[in-house]
Amino acid sequence: MTNLKNRGTIFKFYSWLPLLVLFISVMNEFDLNYLNLKYFSFNFPYILIFFFTLKDFKNFDYILVFLAGLVNDTVVGLPLGISSLSYLLICISTSYFRNITIRPNPIKDWFYFLFIISLINSINYSLLTLFFSLNLVLMNYIVNTFFTFLFYIIFVSFFKYYLKGLND
Amino acid sequence: MASSRDDFIIAIRSAFLKKSTQQKFSLLTLVIVSIFVILLSSFDFRFIRYFKMGINEFVYRSSFVVSIPENFIKNTFVDILDYTTFYKDYRKNKDELSKLRSNNISSEIIQHENEELKELINDYVSSSDKIMAKIIVDHDSPFLKSIIINKGSKDNIIIGTNVYDKAYLVGRVIEVNYKTSRVLLLSDLNSNVPVTIAPQNIQAIITGSGNNFGQIKYIKEGLSEEFTKESIIYTSGTGAIFKSGIPIGRLKFTDEKKEKKIYVEFFSDFSQLKYVFAEVVTKTEIQNSSDDPSINDEESNPMNAKLKILEDEIKIIEDSNIKFKQENENLKLKINDLNKEISNFEGKITSQKNIIQQFSIDKEELKFLRLNLEHGHKCRKTFLNSKGFSVGTTDYKKCVLSKE
Repeated sequence: MTNLKNRGTIFKFYSWLPLLVLFISVMNEFDLNYLNLKYFSFNFPYILIFFFTLKDFKNFDYILVFLAGLVNDTVVGLPLGISSLSYLLICISTSYFRNITIRPNPIKDWFYFLFIISLINSINYSLLTLFFSLNLVLMNYIVNTFFTFLFYIIFVSFFKYYLKGLND
Repeated sequence: MASSRDDFIIAIRSAFLKKSTQQKFSLLTLVIVSIFVILLSSFDFRFIRYFKMGINEFVYRSSFVVSIPENFIKNTFVDILDYTTFYKDYRKNKDELSKLRSNNISSEIIQHENEELKELINDYVSSSDKIMAKIIVDHDSPFLKSIIINKGSKDNIIIGTNVYDKAYLVGRVIEVNYKTSRVLLLSDLNSNVPVTIAPQNIQAIITGSGNNFGQIKYIKEGLSEEFTKESIIYTSGTGAIFKSGIPIGRLKFTDEKKEKKIYVEFFSDFSQLKYVFAEVVTKTEIQNSSDDPSINDEESNPMNAKLKILEDEIKIIEDSNIKFKQENENLKLKINDLNKEISNFEGKITSQKNIIQQFSIDKEELKFLRLNLEHGHKCRKTFLNSKGFSVGTTDYKKCVLSKE
């Protein structure tokens, strides 16, 4: 009886893990750049949100994604709502992509992801420079987009293991 | 064609409006809410400010807790690196310490002198307290370079408070909450600091580069050639955003000849900050003693005595200046008179010279006439004297004069 209960708690924790990781990542802003490489950075929340909303993961609530965006803005120091909008745009794009896709293909997803993050980063950059008059380095955005695109395929393989474990 | 357009519209509509069983809000609602939040956050309403402060306090603390494992790994890595260079650093520090000790005394004297002069110039005395603050969030974001410290409006931190690492400037406060504040680092692209480059004494502005160094901007053309590797940068105090004389960094030259950029290597390593000092400045107005006549000026307030001495000195200088001016005028008049006399004398001398010249001509003519009477026949050309000259010629005159 106790084992079952424990197992239920673990399962619950396991099923909420992506959201937990999302909140940890926005609060922590880790970019794995311990070697201090110039320009190197990637956006982990983009990968996470894109993958799990594309898979229509049941615990990935949009309101929590919106809140994660607010937390990210607070931590990074961006105007409130910018990251929320970016994350929600990813959700919309994945929802649309899911609707039009009959046979899912990882490579297609990957390149669609590149298109979406490029678009969102462009919107982000334009909003911040035009409306909030912030000075930003465009190269940072380009490199960030590139590395996020590259890392997507690596993280997706981990996420697939996770989903497999959840289904088992 | 029409059906594909319909499919697209259906897919888009579905993406925006369709909610699955788990979703409480449609994406369209949330997008509208986020746009509303963006618009609201750009206004500075009081309730928005307090709401933001509340969110900040909560998120910063949570972020600090969440970052503990990563910070632990990071710090361990840094500690290991530190141990490998431990002895080298020790030697270097020892040398620096001995140098600093000798500089410290002269620095203290200058500091006191500076304070005294500032008191004379301003109507207020600024006293500052540096309070130590712990960095609770330090995410090295590629976009914005800022840190969060655990001191806020409760500790008298205000927007614009200067933040130091030891004696070096690291940035200024741009957002204040009750118990936390955000510090914009000098390395951020949005940071602009008016500086002086010593020893050339050149004024410039440094901006962040988005990396861990600054960049010299807005400098007069040609002045950059005077820079050396020894040039030190400190705040100039222009604009009253930063205090003057705070050391920032050293000039750094790149080998890239195509780029004419001059970089600044900060004295402080912003990626290794753990604690910083926030300078809380309090301004005290200097009371004017003339408001209170009961107080004996010179005895009670040494500053007034100094001012009185200075005023007397100015008066003496002004008086002597007037005297000098009068004397100068007199001398000018005398010079004019003398010049007139000189011109008169010069006229006289010229006329006398003319007379003397005329006299010498007459004397020569007389001499010739006398000799002509005595020896003219010897020089005149006649039938017997074929070697003579015709009368009136130059040779005849020479011949007569040679008979003297």
